[in-house]
Amino acid sequence: MQLDIRLPIGLLFSLLGLLLVVSGLVMDKGVYQRSLGINVNLWWGVVLLAFGIVMLLLMRRGAGGVRPAMSTPEGRDTEAREHQLGLEHEPPRRGH
Amino acid sequence: MNLTLVDWVIMLLYFVFVLGIGFALKRYMRTSTDFFLSGRSIPAWITGLAFISANLGAQEVIGMGASGAKYGIMTSHFYWVGAIPAMVFVGVFMMPFYYGSRARSVPEYLKLRFDEKTRGLNAISFAIMTVFSSGISLYAMGLLLGTLLGWDFNVSVMVSAVIVLVYIFLGGLTSAIYNEVIQFFLIVFGFAPLVFLGLKDAGGWAGLQTRLATVATANGFNSGAMTHSWSFMGSASSNPMGVEWFGMLMGLGFVLSFGYWCTDFLVVQRAMAADSMSAARRTPLIAAIPKMFFPFLVILPGMIAIALTYHAGTSGFSLPKKPDGTFNYDMSIPLMLAHYFPSGMLGIGLTALMASFMSGMAGNVTAFNTVWTYDIYQSYIRKGESDHHYLWMGRMATIFGIAVSVIAAYATTRFNNIMDMLQLVFAFVNAPLFATFLLGMFWKRATGHGAFAGLLSGTIAAAIHHGFTLPAGAVVGIKGGWFGVHHIYPSEMAQNFWTAISAWTTCFLVTILVSLATKPREENQLVGLVYSLTQRPKAENVPWYERPAVLGAIVLGLAVVLNIIFW
Repeated sequence: MQLDIRLPIGLLFSLLGLLLVVSGLVMDKGVYQRSLGINVNLWWGVVLLAFGIVMLLLMRRGAGGVRPAMSTPEGRDTEAREHQLGLEHEPPRRGH
Repeated sequence: MNLTLVDWVIMLLYFVFVLGIGFALKRYMRTSTDFFLSGRSIPAWITGLAFISANLGAQEVIGMGASGAKYGIMTSHFYWVGAIPAMVFVGVFMMPFYYGSRARSVPEYLKLRFDEKTRGLNAISFAIMTVFSSGISLYAMGLLLGTLLGWDFNVSVMVSAVIVLVYIFLGGLTSAIYNEVIQFFLIVFGFAPLVFLGLKDAGGWAGLQTRLATVATANGFNSGAMTHSWSFMGSASSNPMGVEWFGMLMGLGFVLSFGYWCTDFLVVQRAMAADSMSAARRTPLIAAIPKMFFPFLVILPGMIAIALTYHAGTSGFSLPKKPDGTFNYDMSIPLMLAHYFPSGMLGIGLTALMASFMSGMAGNVTAFNTVWTYDIYQSYIRKGESDHHYLWMGRMATIFGIAVSVIAAYATTRFNNIMDMLQLVFAFVNAPLFATFLLGMFWKRATGHGAFAGLLSGTIAAAIHHGFTLPAGAVVGIKGGWFGVHHIYPSEMAQNFWTAISAWTTCFLVTILVSLATKPREENQLVGLVYSLTQRPKAENVPWYERPAVLGAIVLGLAVVLNIIFW
């Protein structure tokens, strides 16, 4: 398994969410006049944090990254055909 | 507008992740297939999200917001009539040939199906177009960051060019796709609160409707013209877009949308990177589901912006005017971000905006380096080199493509007309393409000479049509009429749609006529390339939600419902 994309997504959004929640808690409440009196930092920060955590939890399940073509029957089939057609100049790889 | 520390930290964090993905993927780029096609190993949900994100560049985010402000909910035709049916078509009917033929690019499919000259024509025009599109994206970004934040144009252009260069150079298409997925979520999470706040300010949907009625009547239309997508399409003069239903349905819905979503390698490349035939077919279908809700994210802010300008809300938002007295529609979304978001959320919104510019550019660069390396360099310059050599060439093409984009961005600052001219020429070249693919995939009698002649004559027909017509109120020149004005269209959009229709029809007819007059290819050479000679991909033993036909029907059904709701 290569890099699971859910890792960077989960980490990035958790961190962004945390940053927003903290700003929502510490920043002067006057700035929320522009957002119609709603503390968008706090509320949306919670949403981003939750999304990030869900992504990280989802990593425990199933494939979320790259699946080498040679690891599925369909992939082996097409790689072989590609090779046969001379569309590439590499020998078929033997998995990872 | 003032950025505070937290906004800077958010932007910095995003750039760290973007570059980090490039570095993390570097060691997996061992062959040219890894670099250009992600080793055909990416699951459908990731390629699906990248499929929409690659298209979600500057034109989409800024342009759709601007059109929302100008034309109202009618802009959704670009999605619910244009993109969605075309995405279903490419997934259900065309992907079996793109993926099944093992072509590594769209021009290479043309080579397998037709001949070398058809591929060459398509590859060269596509390579030039993508590099310039990427330059336009870069230019738009530099300009926007300059007006919005007062950043220096040179710094904005150079920093974003270098970031895109680094992550593609290292991680190839996989890097671009992963970053496109992150960008997708950033756009959704960055714009959703904006729509919420804007709608609240305008008094909800009901309040927005009353305000937009003021806008419509002030511009001489029926009061519902900004909030109904179909009701006022009977004649071009009764809607703000200035198009009638037939021209829209044929020009936008059929020719332009199918031409873009079904033949543009920028998007098709994402599906080609999928890990199986079924994943490749599901890529555009999965993409279509979020895509059909994007009007609420990118068009609605524009509608809110113009509504509040005519009929102020409590927060006092309004669109500024340009020196020529028209509203600065392009600034709808950026200015709303600046108006409603406090520091913190502002950082997220700006990062989403920058991400969309950068990944729009990255999409073009990855499509360019692939077409350059496989279809131009390997085919005409150096055949039969080692795979390692082509991998190296791909990295060099990335540097070259980005360098040309930067030059194009600077050229645009000096000669704005040159870019308009180039975009016009691109439109001529693109308009007939879908006829060639349609005949190639579904009519085994179509020949290489037919395809080549059709493409050329379609492009010429587009230029001739443009040369004889002019949109109302425009002057002869870049807008058309340079052969003499024989017909005046009610709007530029109507003219574009009919230019596309004439190009498509010409290409379709010429391809058929020339094909019938030339020698057909042996049928056994066309297996896997033409519908009637190819075994249908089997979709048994998979749950219903993984079957392309079922997914496609659901997507189309939802699009019909959306059209009816906003009729």
